[in-house]
Amino acid sequence: MLADFNLRIILEYLPLFLAGLRSTFFISIVSISLAVTTGILACACRISGIRLIKYPAIAYIEIIRSTPLLVQIYFLYFGLPTLGIKVPEIQTGILALMLNSGAYIAEIIRAGINSVEPGQIEAGVSSGLNYIQRMRFIILPQALGVTVPPLLGQAIVLVKDSALLSLISVAELTRAGQTLTSERFMPSEAFFTVAFFYMCIYFCLKALADWSQRKLIFREAY
Amino acid sequence: MTAFYFERLVEIFPFFLKGLWMTSKIAFISLVTCTLLGFVLGIFRSGKNMMLKRIIGVYVAFVRGTPFVVQVFIIFFILPEWGLQLKAFPAALLAMAIMGSAFICEIVAGGISSIPKGQWEAAASSGLNLVQQLRWVILPQAMKVILPPLVGQFVLLIKDTSVVSVIGVMELTRVGWVTVVRIPEGLMVFSLVGALYFVISYPLILLSNYLEQKMAV
Amino acid sequence: MENIIEFKNVNKWFGKLHVLNEINLEIPKGEILVICGPSGSGKSTLIRCINRLEDIQKGEIIVNNIPVHDKSASLTRLRAEIGFVFQQFHLYPHMTVLQNIMLAPVQVKKMDKAKAEKIAMEKLDRVGLAEKSGAYPAQLSGGQQQRVAIARGLAMSPEIMLFDEPTSALDPEMIGEVLDVMVNLVSEGMTMCVVTHEMGFAKKVAHRVLFMDEGKIIETGTPSDFFDHPKTDRAASFISMILTH
Repeated sequence: MLADFNLRIILEYLPLFLAGLRSTFFISIVSISLAVTTGILACACRISGIRLIKYPAIAYIEIIRSTPLLVQIYFLYFGLPTLGIKVPEIQTGILALMLNSGAYIAEIIRAGINSVEPGQIEAGVSSGLNYIQRMRFIILPQALGVTVPPLLGQAIVLVKDSALLSLISVAELTRAGQTLTSERFMPSEAFFTVAFFYMCIYFCLKALADWSQRKLIFREAY
Repeated sequence: MTAFYFERLVEIFPFFLKGLWMTSKIAFISLVTCTLLGFVLGIFRSGKNMMLKRIIGVYVAFVRGTPFVVQVFIIFFILPEWGLQLKAFPAALLAMAIMGSAFICEIVAGGISSIPKGQWEAAASSGLNLVQQLRWVILPQAMKVILPPLVGQFVLLIKDTSVVSVIGVMELTRVGWVTVVRIPEGLMVFSLVGALYFVISYPLILLSNYLEQKMAV
Repeated sequence: MENIIEFKNVNKWFGKLHVLNEINLEIPKGEILVICGPSGSGKSTLIRCINRLEDIQKGEIIVNNIPVHDKSASLTRLRAEIGFVFQQFHLYPHMTVLQNIMLAPVQVKKMDKAKAEKIAMEKLDRVGLAEKSGAYPAQLSGGQQQRVAIARGLAMSPEIMLFDEPTSALDPEMIGEVLDVMVNLVSEGMTMCVVTHEMGFAKKVAHRVLFMDEGKIIETGTPSDFFDHPKTDRAASFISMILTH
């Protein structure tokens, strides 16, 4: 009985949920791509020797890491209009996610680069490779194994973070749940369905992350 | 106009401090409950009881696989349907407890499983029971592995308290949200909010970095 | 002489692998028993069953009149009577040598700290390492760590000492110091079961040698009988292999 009731309403609102799911996909994919780019840039600045770009990069990363994402979202959502910048909420949301994940990704990449054993770098230097060549042929390929799993972990975090965008009226998956709740007073059906969809995404991404962990680790053979 | 708003902001600064105090209260209570619960769960999670391990595993997967804001909504809106009507503040604490202990459970279980099996066997062979093995041999060694990510998790928990603003708890983020309606200077208001979060979380971040370096030796 | 350890029709499987196959064994009190055999023969598993580090699927093991694998058996009481020395020593790295030895007497036997410390120092002295009481395991050599492990096993004043390949993880020059300590224990009338390839030790102090292969006890005898006149081909080829090593 209770189950019937549940399912009927869910089926009725299914288009809304699926639209929200699509939107969440879109937001996540765009944000993570932009975040990776931001992260690479921020990391490059962070590890550079030039203080003029290093210190701002450190400031950016530390500020992002010490403040909640929701505050960052509100900062942009309420703050950008005061600068005269009027953008649709979804773009504000993507910007917030990009800046937030970008900082964490910068640190993930930095840890990956630092994980390559110094002996490898010495070997490269001894054979006369310059900085860019060492990066390209020795450091980055090995850093990959240490970087990709946490990167996928950050992608999982980002998908969950995108739920906060519902609070600035972006039409994504969580907002679909809120809509069903406010229109029909059925929070169980609404949010368990929403949770179910997020769990599906989570398990897919987790499987990918676990698989990559097994496949991409290179270690020196003694 | 901006200067006018700035003055008003300074006027209602105590309001922000009250919000900060509420955030600190929620954070502190959550840190304590999540750590206690997380350790208990983590110890069972690395134990021998398969059934218990699976149940905890399902619980952890649910918490890690869904957004915290959705969990907060579930606790605040769905529990009343099953008979448990909670006010915003207790609901917030419950949500934080459930979420935080799942993550700490994984950290603790990871630390315990990093201890070589031989340590368990050596302790067991001299007649120590399970509690004694954990207390004297396993946990002291596991703490070195657990402490850095644990402190990192504390920082995350402090930041996650901002999410409970959605059910009306008047913590720091909600103070900002409510203020920005009257003082439409989003940049100023949320810079202030951010700065206050920074003040309470940055020391912990420094501690976490320090611990990571120290334990890596 | 009464039997302190008895195996009756003991069988154990790891999945499909029959690791212990119809083991029947009687070990009288005070016997020094050496168990040898190729790797995978089940010899380590056999002694690990005695203090229930491993479970069995069929049969019975009785130690000091306590059925080991009985659900109601008190593991604490059983293990307090058995000292176990591991191949990898497994000293507690976060405790000093003295704390390592004192832990069980204080926690299990509820001994007061002063008395436990006295006994610990006594055992430490017996293995020749009294001056290292305040050191941490990481500061000791392999041979020293294993000797501390023996002292730790002795601290509970057990009736039985079990050794699982105690010298296999040691550099050659440290094997002697550990074997010397073990020979020393023999004069106390303690029951000892030692899984080892060290033939010199067996010939010197063992009352009996057990040869195992593929989960079964193939042959037993006194050391001189076994090493000089093995009755089975498998035993003979095994002995020649460890001789040429």
